[in-house]
Amino acid sequence: MVERAPVLDTICHAILIAGALLVCVPLYFAFVAGSLTIAEVQKVPLPWLPGGQFVANLQAAWAKADFSRTFLNSIVVAVGITAGKIAVSLLSAFAITYFRFRYRMLAFWLIFMSLMLPIEVRIVPTFEAVANAALPLQWLADMLHVADLWKWISGHDVTITLEWNMVNTYPGLILPLIASATATFLFRQFFLTVPDELCEAARLDGASPLRFFWSILLPLSVSNIIALAIILFLFGWNQYLWPLLFTTDKDMATAVIALKNLIPRSDSEPAWNIAMSGALLTMLPPTLVILLLQRWFLKGLIDSSK
Amino acid sequence: MNASSPIASSPIWPESPAVQVAQPSGLVRSQHPSPGATVAEHSPVTPRPIRARTPKRGQPDREPGLKRANFGREAGLPTLLLLPQLLILVCFFFIPSLRALMQSVLLSDPFGSNVQFVWFDNFKALFASGEYRQSIVTTIWFTVTQNVITLAVAVVLAFASDRVVRGRSVYRTLILLPYAIAPAIAGILWAFLFNPVVGPLAHMLHALGISWDPNRNPNDALWLVIMAASWKHICYDYIFLAVGLLAVPASLMEAAAVDGAGPIRRFFLIALPMLGPTVFFLAVMNFIYGFFETFAIIDAVTHGGPAGATNILVYKVYVDGFINLDLGSSAAQSVLLMTFALICTLLQFRYFDHKVNYGV
Amino acid sequence: MKKTAFMAVLLGVLALAAPAQAARVEVQWWHAMSGVLGDRLNELVEKFNASQDKYTVVAVAKGNYDEVTNGVIAAYRAKRPPEMVQIAERGYLTMLLSGAIVPVQDLLDQKGYKIDWPDFIKPVASFWSYKGRMSAMPFNSSTPIFWYNKEHFRKAGFDKPADTWQELEAQLYAIKAKGVSECGTVLPGDFYWSLLENYSAINNQPYGTLANGFGGLGTEFVYNKTKVVSQVARLKKWLDDGVLQIAGQGLSPEQLFTSGRCSTFVNSTASHGNIERNAKIEWSATFLPHENDINPPLNSTIGGGAIWVMKGHTPERYDAVAAFLDFVAQPETQVWWHGVTGYVPATSKAYALARERGYYKEHPTREIAVLQLSRGTPNDNSRGFRFGNFVQTMLAQRSEVEAVFTGQKQPQQAMDDAVKRGNEILRQFEKLNAGKDAEAGREPK
Repeated sequence: MVERAPVLDTICHAILIAGALLVCVPLYFAFVAGSLTIAEVQKVPLPWLPGGQFVANLQAAWAKADFSRTFLNSIVVAVGITAGKIAVSLLSAFAITYFRFRYRMLAFWLIFMSLMLPIEVRIVPTFEAVANAALPLQWLADMLHVADLWKWISGHDVTITLEWNMVNTYPGLILPLIASATATFLFRQFFLTVPDELCEAARLDGASPLRFFWSILLPLSVSNIIALAIILFLFGWNQYLWPLLFTTDKDMATAVIALKNLIPRSDSEPAWNIAMSGALLTMLPPTLVILLLQRWFLKGLIDSSK
Repeated sequence: MNASSPIASSPIWPESPAVQVAQPSGLVRSQHPSPGATVAEHSPVTPRPIRARTPKRGQPDREPGLKRANFGREAGLPTLLLLPQLLILVCFFFIPSLRALMQSVLLSDPFGSNVQFVWFDNFKALFASGEYRQSIVTTIWFTVTQNVITLAVAVVLAFASDRVVRGRSVYRTLILLPYAIAPAIAGILWAFLFNPVVGPLAHMLHALGISWDPNRNPNDALWLVIMAASWKHICYDYIFLAVGLLAVPASLMEAAAVDGAGPIRRFFLIALPMLGPTVFFLAVMNFIYGFFETFAIIDAVTHGGPAGATNILVYKVYVDGFINLDLGSSAAQSVLLMTFALICTLLQFRYFDHKVNYGV
Repeated sequence: MKKTAFMAVLLGVLALAAPAQAARVEVQWWHAMSGVLGDRLNELVEKFNASQDKYTVVAVAKGNYDEVTNGVIAAYRAKRPPEMVQIAERGYLTMLLSGAIVPVQDLLDQKGYKIDWPDFIKPVASFWSYKGRMSAMPFNSSTPIFWYNKEHFRKAGFDKPADTWQELEAQLYAIKAKGVSECGTVLPGDFYWSLLENYSAINNQPYGTLANGFGGLGTEFVYNKTKVVSQVARLKKWLDDGVLQIAGQGLSPEQLFTSGRCSTFVNSTASHGNIERNAKIEWSATFLPHENDINPPLNSTIGGGAIWVMKGHTPERYDAVAAFLDFVAQPETQVWWHGVTGYVPATSKAYALARERGYYKEHPTREIAVLQLSRGTPNDNSRGFRFGNFVQTMLAQRSEVEAVFTGQKQPQQAMDDAVKRGNEILRQFEKLNAGKDAEAGREPK
């Protein structure tokens, strides 16, 4: 239904080119800075054309930030957050939309209280919680007098100290970032739009709830899951404050944290060329995800309207 | 809605009316034809009249947000299904949040060895502080401006990319790029480009006769963080609007075209009003983004300066908690922000549950 | 999911139960050094690790000083502190009164190491010690010095920068007027340290009551009644006239100097490593200027960091910590660190050793900091600064100074406001630590 309107079309192209430029100019300068020598990058103003050090700087950044290790960590963390959050959220969204149990509204509000609360406002207590995630279990053990029970059984005097130190572990990096209801909310909203007839038919066929979930609800959710996966992957990859506080072991640092250590500070060498190369490298995986999966990202939507 | 991390970029997949409804409708249509589920009813851009005549709400036996066709009163299985989420939330959300709440009525040294209960002194001190009031004003100005710019640019880009045929996917990919960039990195890039001494773009401004110096001019600094924050977020609004536009029924647009409405008129008279819910949703998301998720940008671009000109509330929480080590005050500020976020959550629920229920 | 979590708990418990069979005791040291300094620090740790076979120190870069502090606080509250942590000078009182640390002198005494404590040079020793005993191991001590571009000065017809602010001002304006360089000097990122605090010490101006806080927690800021006000006004004037430039975010101030754009730069002596490596200009350094009505000028004060030992570890680990701190305190280590970084040698022996080897003949600018630190007789105004919540009061002050730079406030008004805000913060610290008065701090063992 696109009628001919050449002037408007030209304007549209102009707008889009302007938009694309807006996006690309900062990235272009990152590239320029990343291709200069350290002496060139300190020139004022910065040259507009790239230099010849691009590959060398990339290599230097790769080695200096230990990207072969930190990229791996970032991938594990990002994939862990993605998979974990989607799995947990699908299950709980299924539970609160398809079951009518007594404390349903309570569970609902418990989950959705966390919808919009950033981790930063509770990061110190979160750190304590994760440094010993077994704390609630410890309370439980104390409350149930497990130690006394053991003494009664075995005759040995013990003190039970449950410790589950997650500092410098992948679960420690991943779990606190799963603790929000955003994905649950999405799936809930989606499930609410799934026709009731499907569930009725499944029940008539005698399918169990899990069977219905697995063979009907899940396939229906595929586009949502993929779109959400892309977003969560980027979210996980770009995490900053939590990994910064939470990793004390160099080998557990994520790529963004390693990059942060490349950024020159007041008492260090102004190696902006290396830092910018590192920035480009760090952007690469999320960019690839967007480029490669963009089709998926939009597929369902485009199908539905054209 | 990635409220759980102001630092990390990514706005999480939100509960956009556009996506949640439009997407399934496509699938439903193609794979599971179901009686009565017309595309229009499931479309994000359902015209208001249809919404108005939806009498299903308020059926006596229905709980809000429960499927009419459900698996009944079983309690064991749902408990199992909910357990992972609830466990994680209790350990990593509720316990920490409660501690933050407790911290807000304490005066304590950062290491926690010296603790005094001070009732609401931390809150009183905040409200008495000119700095905090300035921060509130700055935050409002920052989020509103950022919101308007982001939405306006995204609407224009969405309109333009809906018009053009050639190169659309290239444009779309480029516009989406900032989504892949961590806010911390985005902030560094902007700080560098607009640095009044070395920044190439700052030099351009100077060449144009604009006296640009965010280090000495509070307004310049505020504009700089607004631009950087918008730059990072336009792609988000854009993608929802672009998708929403795709879902506008072609028949309506064609009818309008037959009536002689030009493309721009059609856009403003038909498409945009139909995107109303999406726009509302995006506005809420932009506020959340501005309030909570711009921390890393402020940190990289201005450090909240000069003279507190860009010291927005969430950045102040961070500075007071993590640099000044004034845990009590920082926690009190957190509690205020949490309250605000909870109100936003409730508003969202009221709006979307109202909206969603009709179609279920 | 639940099952995995449960297994992880079990594994955690098992891992804990199995005694570590590592032959070497491993201890962590969190630090804030980056760039060249970070590389050097790693070398230092490697040297120590190679020097013996019982202990391994693991150096972990935790970001800048603020981030290190945060990291250690969060870790301590979670009962997982590192054994050692490098904290900036501003955090002294917070650390000292935290109840979370073991004073280094106590630890080293207890472990039987004979450190020549009186040998630490005065400004360093008095800063890091409490009631005559060292609380933290001085590690990277610095002081601001005055860097300049020799070529610029020559071209403008001057031999070297003048000794007083008044003459220096004339020189910088002349350099600008003659078009030798674009800006006379650049505002250091930590100008509050060099241009306000050290300025007060050198020019014999009180900064706070009770000997700048050395006399107790009841101290109050008084710099709104001193030359600091006119110093701020001077900076504002220089800014307006383009003689002083602000680097801003995305650019380190040092870059403006090393690239030859600005002719002078007030910065820590610790920049030696970077400047020697990166500056393509003909540079030199000298003492910080003083006011023309103050003669002779007093000593400057130290900045930088020290190594604190955290509470809550096993005796074996403290063995490792003590061995490492002993290594750090050795004159050989000190001289090496001084040489590769530009930080001042913390002990007289190290200083003598460096002199003896003719080090300052080759690197004359390396001696400026030591000479400036030990010049004259320190008095209450120049011994240093001991304020609680010192980071917070500094940020409040910086914000007020920025309000002068942006033209929103007059210097006197801004400094009055800064003092008022600062004193509120000091009272909060005093209230919190009441009964732990600075003269009674450490609890008896």
